[in-house]
Amino acid sequence: MANSKLYKGSLVTIILRLLKENEKMYGYEITQKVKQITQGELQITEGALYPALHKLEAQGLLDVDVQKVGNRLRKYYKLTPQGQKETHSKLQELQAYIKTMQVLVNPKWSLES
Amino acid sequence: MEFGIMRTVNPQEIAQLYQFTRAHFVEYYDLQTELVDHLANDMEVIWQKQPKLSFEQARDASFKKFGVFGFMDVVGERQKAMTKRYMTYLWQEFRQWLTLPKLAITLCLFLVFYTAFSSPFVPLFLVLVFGYHAVWSIYKSVILRKRFKSRRENTSKKWMLEEMIFKQAGGAALLLMSQLPTWYNLSGAYLSNPTLVIGISLFTTVFSIYMYVSFELLPNKAEELLNQTYPEYSM
Repeated sequence: MANSKLYKGSLVTIILRLLKENEKMYGYEITQKVKQITQGELQITEGALYPALHKLEAQGLLDVDVQKVGNRLRKYYKLTPQGQKETHSKLQELQAYIKTMQVLVNPKWSLES
Repeated sequence: MEFGIMRTVNPQEIAQLYQFTRAHFVEYYDLQTELVDHLANDMEVIWQKQPKLSFEQARDASFKKFGVFGFMDVVGERQKAMTKRYMTYLWQEFRQWLTLPKLAITLCLFLVFYTAFSSPFVPLFLVLVFGYHAVWSIYKSVILRKRFKSRRENTSKKWMLEEMIFKQAGGAALLLMSQLPTWYNLSGAYLSNPTLVIGISLFTTVFSIYMYVSFELLPNKAEELLNQTYPEYSM
């Protein structure tokens, strides 16, 4: 499992990115999807996921929908128009961060470019 | 690979999972529902790999993933997020008093307070205005708590926002009210300073509207706000 401290700051961006691609998702689905995409390298912990989702919901970036699935109720999250804008800027921020980190971790790259 | 019939969480077990969340300090229905679905999903995945595990074993294996504090972090953060939501509703209602037509009432209120606090009877008016607010807010708190109690008797479901609307209304105001004697003692100084008179009149106006919004308007709109916040509220 990846160092949790390193990806902690990116959790919100990961959630927004997944919702941008999948329209609507429920909590457990998000944890499984991240695990699947990163082949188990990254695992979102339950204790971090729900607080992040609820915070985004309170900020008006996510909208919720509840549906009866089988014998239980399932809460789905989807991006609001404001959330879509935020996803775009968060992704740009993260990409810029990754670029900077690459330069810092591998200084040769900056000389080549 | 050969699998038997995939084990799923049955309705009785769903009810047991609700009880399990309650036993782990999750009082609110919306959060219980989300966590029950999460545990059930995870347990079904666990059963795919270890079909012989009992309901309790699969449940505990899933719960363990929430860490040593269990659901406590989730509940605490939910409280913060819902407080923010409540403040947003409060502000949405309050800001209507800063635009027409309600702005006219706000201005009238300000003028009344300004006239009262410019007169030589400032201490008397201060006691009257804030004394009235104190009595009214205590009366409203009692009424709201009664309303909340009767709502709770009709359902076993508890909603965080409902509790905030009915039990935390005007919370900040009651703290301010306790400072009334200090205000009274200082009131002599207000007479001589016109800026302070404007300041105190403005504050009293904002304060009165805040009290009205939190004790009267939001509780009256509770059903609408709960439906807006929780899609499962009317399910």
